[in-house]
Amino acid sequence: MSFRRFSTQTLVAAALLLAGCRDKEVVSYRAPRDSAPPPERPKMAGAKPELPDGHPPIGGAAANAPAGGAMGGMAAAGLPTDAVSKNNALVWTAPANWQERAPGSIRKGSYTVPGEGGAVGDLSITAFPGDTGGLHANVNRWRGQVGLAPLSDTDVEKSITSFEANGLKIILVEMVGPSGNPPTRLLGAIVPYERETWFFKLTGPDTLVASQREAFRTFLSTVKAR
Amino acid sequence: MNATLRSFRDFFCSLQLTVWLLILSMILVFVATLDQVNLGIWAVQAKYFRSFAVLWQIPDSNVSIPVFPGGYFIGGLLLINLVAAHIYRFSLTWKKSGIQLAHAGLILLLLGELFTGLMSKESFLRLDTGETKHYSESFSENELVLIDHSDPKTDLVVAIPEGAVADKKSIQHKDLPFRVDVKEYYPNSNLQRVGPFAGPRPVATQGFGTGLVILPEKMTYKPNERNIPSAYIEIVAPEGSQGVWLASQMLQQPQTFQYAGKTWEIAFRQVRTYKPFALTLLKFSHDKYPGTEIPKNFSSRVRVKSDDGKEDREVLIFMNNPLRHGGYTFYQAGFDNNDTTTVLQVVRNPSWLLPYIACVMMGFGLCIQFGITLAGFIRKRSAANAAAARA
Repeated sequence: MSFRRFSTQTLVAAALLLAGCRDKEVVSYRAPRDSAPPPERPKMAGAKPELPDGHPPIGGAAANAPAGGAMGGMAAAGLPTDAVSKNNALVWTAPANWQERAPGSIRKGSYTVPGEGGAVGDLSITAFPGDTGGLHANVNRWRGQVGLAPLSDTDVEKSITSFEANGLKIILVEMVGPSGNPPTRLLGAIVPYERETWFFKLTGPDTLVASQREAFRTFLSTVKAR
Repeated sequence: MNATLRSFRDFFCSLQLTVWLLILSMILVFVATLDQVNLGIWAVQAKYFRSFAVLWQIPDSNVSIPVFPGGYFIGGLLLINLVAAHIYRFSLTWKKSGIQLAHAGLILLLLGELFTGLMSKESFLRLDTGETKHYSESFSENELVLIDHSDPKTDLVVAIPEGAVADKKSIQHKDLPFRVDVKEYYPNSNLQRVGPFAGPRPVATQGFGTGLVILPEKMTYKPNERNIPSAYIEIVAPEGSQGVWLASQMLQQPQTFQYAGKTWEIAFRQVRTYKPFALTLLKFSHDKYPGTEIPKNFSSRVRVKSDDGKEDREVLIFMNNPLRHGGYTFYQAGFDNNDTTTVLQVVRNPSWLLPYIACVMMGFGLCIQFGITLAGFIRKRSAANAAAARA
């Protein structure tokens, strides 16, 4: 019996080793080139692949690539490309007159905010893992985007207001650029949620963005966990 | 036959062994079912059923010790036990033909599961409307790929399985003019933008990774979540290092670099299985019952076009009506993006018929055996009745 056990174990070990080798073999092959992907269409905010009611889950994973991102394209002053959060953990309700656009691969949500005389503002919703450098750095990053000099930590603290909505802490900031015709105004909100930081940013011509202050705040009060 | 051989034969033929193996398999199924909560169905299958031994990892170490026989071990012994009993104990007579057939069916069932475990492959194919793909992707297996894009029609892909990346070694391959050194590897991760002032500094010196850092995450085993591996990869050519790249499944955009006049792409992606045909999603339909959100029907109209030009047809895939083509079965599995993307489950299982055949054999065998017994019983009773009538 002991001999048999020994030989079985030897066989098992050999089989496992062989299997292990096969799992680690580097292979090369020729493959047809990927066809160009079709143009991106709008996605529902936080849309996930759905199965019909009562359908058993398939596979060992969500059958979708992560909401990872086409890196680059964010005109962030002096900032490298972005990493994108995996989760679509927050949902919101936008005012009826904001026009939803295709968010692309970086944004979680994207809206055109129409104003008088054809002026438009841009509302972007993004989310990144961690604290992305912290509150002060992010406020100063936004200041840089509208052409303002960075503030000291104390002054950043003074420039923000915060409120609570649906159990979330929402940090609000508003700034207007020093130049331009009209100058650019930025309304921003930073929402930390479960090891991620969500950014809601409305930018556009000064008067248009200023007129949307209440709408923006009301919109923020609809943000909630999925 | 000497005593040792005889004891071996008796051991493998014994009914006692059968009973023990059945008890062990019951315990295995019970424990594995409970463990699905922690690991999810796929990991449970691999750990308990498609293994020779169930391994237990000693906490806070990389050492795993076998604690229970695995499915292959129990099933393998059961198979040997059955075959040996067949050979040595069952007499080939008509009287026992039903039992023989039922046992042969059971043997086939065990073999069928073995072949399924060894040969069946499941993957998924995600198609946007209008998109054409030659490949399906694995649910859970990943690979680091280096792709030479210099040919206008085809790509030369060098695929390094995640298992090889995890070893964090230098990798050389005849089709690579440089060496691939794995500096760091994280089986599940997230990416973080580097803050302008504080926080960790980037490791990568080239590509998107120059502004990012990898955040290690705990491995996930939930059935609807996936581990997202990332790694820092250094490309080392004979003339020196070409830089360090961050390769991650979080990055969807290609990262390319030039070497020796050729454009190479580096990416961490789900393992792809290329097929000698392409599928194009023409239209995805999702009908709901009027006035409700309850799905009534959803289907994918796809175009199947083989590379050799022999086949070019349109097919409608819907629930319980999969497309079987080229040894693969494509099932309608899900949808996405406001009904503009379809997700098909792709299964390749060359032994898919075996369980059906085995069940038919066992059913037949039991019917025959029952019939034989019943016939004998009726004969006996009629003989007894006749004797009683004569008495």
